[in-house]
Amino acid sequence: MTPERFQTIVDAYGADPRRWPQEERAAAEAWAELHRSEADAALAEPASIDAWLASHTIAPPPRALVERVVATAPVRGPFRQGGRLWWQGAAFAGIGLAGGLTGAFAVSFFVLTSTPPSVHDASYVTSSFGGSTADWSGE
Amino acid sequence: MGPGAAAAAVHAADATGLRPLNERDPDAELVARVGEQDQAAVRTLVARKLPRLLALATRMLGDRMEAEDVAQEAFVRIWKQAPRWKEGEARFDTWIHRVALNLCYDRLRGRREDPVADLPDEADPRALPDQQLEARVRDERVREALAALPARQREALVLNYYQELSNIEAAALMGITVDALESLLARARRNLRAQLAGSGFSKDTP
Repeated sequence: MTPERFQTIVDAYGADPRRWPQEERAAAEAWAELHRSEADAALAEPASIDAWLASHTIAPPPRALVERVVATAPVRGPFRQGGRLWWQGAAFAGIGLAGGLTGAFAVSFFVLTSTPPSVHDASYVTSSFGGSTADWSGE
Repeated sequence: MGPGAAAAAVHAADATGLRPLNERDPDAELVARVGEQDQAAVRTLVARKLPRLLALATRMLGDRMEAEDVAQEAFVRIWKQAPRWKEGEARFDTWIHRVALNLCYDRLRGRREDPVADLPDEADPRALPDQQLEARVRDERVREALAALPARQREALVLNYYQELSNIEAAALMGITVDALESLLARARRNLRAQLAGSGFSKDTP
């Protein structure tokens, strides 16, 4: 590492060794350690430009942009997923239909079963008289 | 991929400077999952790369809305490329920088006027507390100085300083030698210094 090369490095890449060329970083840092005052003089202006650059910040992407970008990604296997959704839809429709039918059956059952008591009543009544009918038949 | 390409890829990975020196592309596995249309991977990739691409485009264009459009377009290309992505040809991060930079240059070429004139209006600085106002003024000054740089100098500086790409990656992206990159970077910093000096810049007040 020569003083000229050190100057060239900091003029181009700034004062932070993280941005220096990787293959020269160790040599440049070692040179700076050995020539502290020369290095400090060379680093002063690049460091102030670095500080200015660091003050320019960019707001992170808003949530709406993140969602817009995610929405542009293709979803897994349009055909497979469409097919699966179709089957799932059919299954749900089937369950719904089955539920509806069960409900309808139950309702009709209760409608039907709500009649028999009256029938029973009638038959009971009838049977109360039926007894007599039997009695009559027994005659 | 031949042994030469593999060696070049390893060399490029070694030269990344600011990242752990992995031989593997750190994004490769995630990109493969995106290629399989894994929705969790899609979200992870967006979280990882959108802020980076948005920052790149905002600094290249000096216009936040245009930068958001560029970032969105870049992702449309990423989704197309992901199923075909092969590790080793180039790092994924470098490739998306190329995509976004091309989109930025398409827009810069379409401009007639000075890019500084395109800067969006800022919020009323009188509404901000002193400390925030100071930061806002400084931020604005640097933004204007960046926007006033010749595009290639700005590109070199944005890639090296803000995007923290290695000199080898940045030079490869720009299609120039490392020496040419160093020359662009040094000129960009000299120009910035001159502009910031003209707007009250001094070493003591960064």
